[in-house]
Amino acid sequence: MTIKTKKEKRLNIVLAGNANVGKSVIFNYLTGLHQHIGNWAGKTVKRAEGSLYYKGQTIDVLDLPGIYSLTTYSIEEVISREYIAVQKPDFVINVVDATNLERNLLFTLQLLELERPVILAVNMINLLTRKGIAIDIKKLEELLGIPVVPIEAIYGKGITEILDRGLKLIGSQLPVTNPQKLRYWKGVEQEVEKLTQSLKEIKTDYPSRWLAIKLLEKDKEVEKLIKDNNPEIIEEAKKLCLHLEKVHGHDSSIVIAAERCCLVSQIAQKVIKTTKLQLISLEDRLNSITCHKIFGYPVLIAILGFMFLTIFKFGNWSSSLLEGVFASWQKCYEGIFGISVFSSLGWSAVESIFALIQIALPYILPFYLLLYFLEDWGYLARVAYLTDNLMHKIGIHGKACIPLILGFGCNVPSCLSCRIMETERERFITGFLTTFVPCSAVTVIIMGLVGKFVGIAPAFGLYFLAILTIFVLGKLASKILPGEATELIMEMPDYKMPHFKTIILQTWFRLKEFIFIAAPLVVISGLFIELLRLADWLDAVAVILSPITVDWLGLPTITGVLLIFGILRKELILVMLATLLGTANFSQVLTPVQMITLALVSMFYVPCIATIAAFRQEFGWEKALAVTGFKILFAIGVGGIASRLLSFFIQI
Amino acid sequence: MDSVSLIILKEGQEAKIVSIMGGRTASKRLADLGLTPGTLLRVVRKAPLSGPVIVEVRGSRLILGRGLASKVFVKNELPRSRT
Repeated sequence: MTIKTKKEKRLNIVLAGNANVGKSVIFNYLTGLHQHIGNWAGKTVKRAEGSLYYKGQTIDVLDLPGIYSLTTYSIEEVISREYIAVQKPDFVINVVDATNLERNLLFTLQLLELERPVILAVNMINLLTRKGIAIDIKKLEELLGIPVVPIEAIYGKGITEILDRGLKLIGSQLPVTNPQKLRYWKGVEQEVEKLTQSLKEIKTDYPSRWLAIKLLEKDKEVEKLIKDNNPEIIEEAKKLCLHLEKVHGHDSSIVIAAERCCLVSQIAQKVIKTTKLQLISLEDRLNSITCHKIFGYPVLIAILGFMFLTIFKFGNWSSSLLEGVFASWQKCYEGIFGISVFSSLGWSAVESIFALIQIALPYILPFYLLLYFLEDWGYLARVAYLTDNLMHKIGIHGKACIPLILGFGCNVPSCLSCRIMETERERFITGFLTTFVPCSAVTVIIMGLVGKFVGIAPAFGLYFLAILTIFVLGKLASKILPGEATELIMEMPDYKMPHFKTIILQTWFRLKEFIFIAAPLVVISGLFIELLRLADWLDAVAVILSPITVDWLGLPTITGVLLIFGILRKELILVMLATLLGTANFSQVLTPVQMITLALVSMFYVPCIATIAAFRQEFGWEKALAVTGFKILFAIGVGGIASRLLSFFIQI
Repeated sequence: MDSVSLIILKEGQEAKIVSIMGGRTASKRLADLGLTPGTLLRVVRKAPLSGPVIVEVRGSRLILGRGLASKVFVKNELPRSRT
């Protein structure tokens, strides 16, 4: 009997903590490659799950998003607190950064309020000596009343101890944590107590004391929950809030937050010991260059320029290498399957997958490696610091600089990197704007068409137009979309040695994720276009589109076909143009105005299918389609106007 | 001495937070990161052209956008600068 229950029993644990404390390193360590990354039901928040087998038990591990609080500031916070309270995991591993203990403990206190078993994993304990401080683990354990384990996640040190302590905690059947030890100042505590008593009669998934604290913090979700049960308690809470505000002179939510800060300061004073005085460290010297008022910017441009060039060079080189390999495979394929309707449909599916690999390996792989390198090193925070002012002008903040710059390489990773923005609103505006950044494929068109046959000035003019468009649309979007603009607020991590295993694992998971998302869409659209071609409908489609392409944009009829192929991969526009026109000397068949117009439309119309897939993953179908629709209309509008203006000026 | 906005402080100056004059979301966000009335902080760096401010608080550093930083009112208790 016992054996049976032991077999069936699966433990459920979660990892919780601030961003950048090494949660995902521990998660990777625990679950290895047995992990599944998806989205929370109906949300665009990443959900990472995995499992491991430890000491005869199967343990399911969930990595909660990195958050700073358990309020309703972001969806991540709401998801996290609901999960912990409703799903009641067997224990919570709260990962904290040893070098930043005091602020990390603010979150720990909030977690303890949820009254689930918590184990505190103090990570990066090895970096303390460099900072000249030490942490008294025993004392911390005693003050918090929960198991505290010092760990060095990147070396795997201390991780099994977390599990052992966790299993012991479950086995001990002791009452969960001890809000007893962590009490607020008397005046505040009395009010919390009073409200807790009234709330005892209400049955919810949440602890009464937590509900009481949240009511005093004026938490909208909790207010709604209680209102449905007993509106009188809301009235009582309001009175207590007013009383608190009268006594302290601040909003009651701030009073509670200040209480936590106070408790944490007391704990920090008792457990953190200074071991040696700090001299001017390498850290400070690096900061004085990379954050310098003037020199910071050349350094920024150099680093990002290097990154961009590396991706671009490596991408072009390896992409053409792969293309050569794949081209030879087509002959083999035709040799085996012959040439028929079905075989060419089959080939177009294979070709779509190749096209995807040709984006993923040459461009996205190095991009992720470099991005995670910069993140792990700590430079991304400096980028946000330096560019915040500029980004602010378009209604977003410093962190958005990263996705936008990356867009010049490829829109797909830039779209995926919008995750670094905190709120849904910022995430969407940034994602929307990145789809307007001319990616390397668009650069191929601009340079190969306009740069080569019209002149370098009009080519740069197109870039300028793109940047102007991003600026204007950014301003408009931040005006139109509801909600207030969030200001930049982020931690400034110390520089540290990047850990290569972490970078490679992160890259691998992201790349895998991208391929799984994009592959079905790319294959389906590839097959669809091939079907159109086989049925000889492409010309018909071009004719249908001719009122737009010919009458409004002033382009030849065949451009309709090009623009359809361009959905797959934008550089196909140039390749197909040469094939369909039978010449690579475009100046013979297109006027300069037509070339500029075609490049302009290619630049702005639909994002390529891989970008649409990435966008859908981050923002959902509706927004992906809305943005695609908007871009098509925008490109047609701007293209038509540009074509008329250009013809007018050239005639003069 | 009256309280002043955080952005008035020079690099290296220390002060104590008196109040936060922002909307609920802004002040809550600051509080989550440990910036509550009574907290001691030091301005580490200010970016040019109304860029963000880096402050040291509770043993670690935070980057605050200029607009947000301007809502934090402090009392410049210890007018000394560290280099």
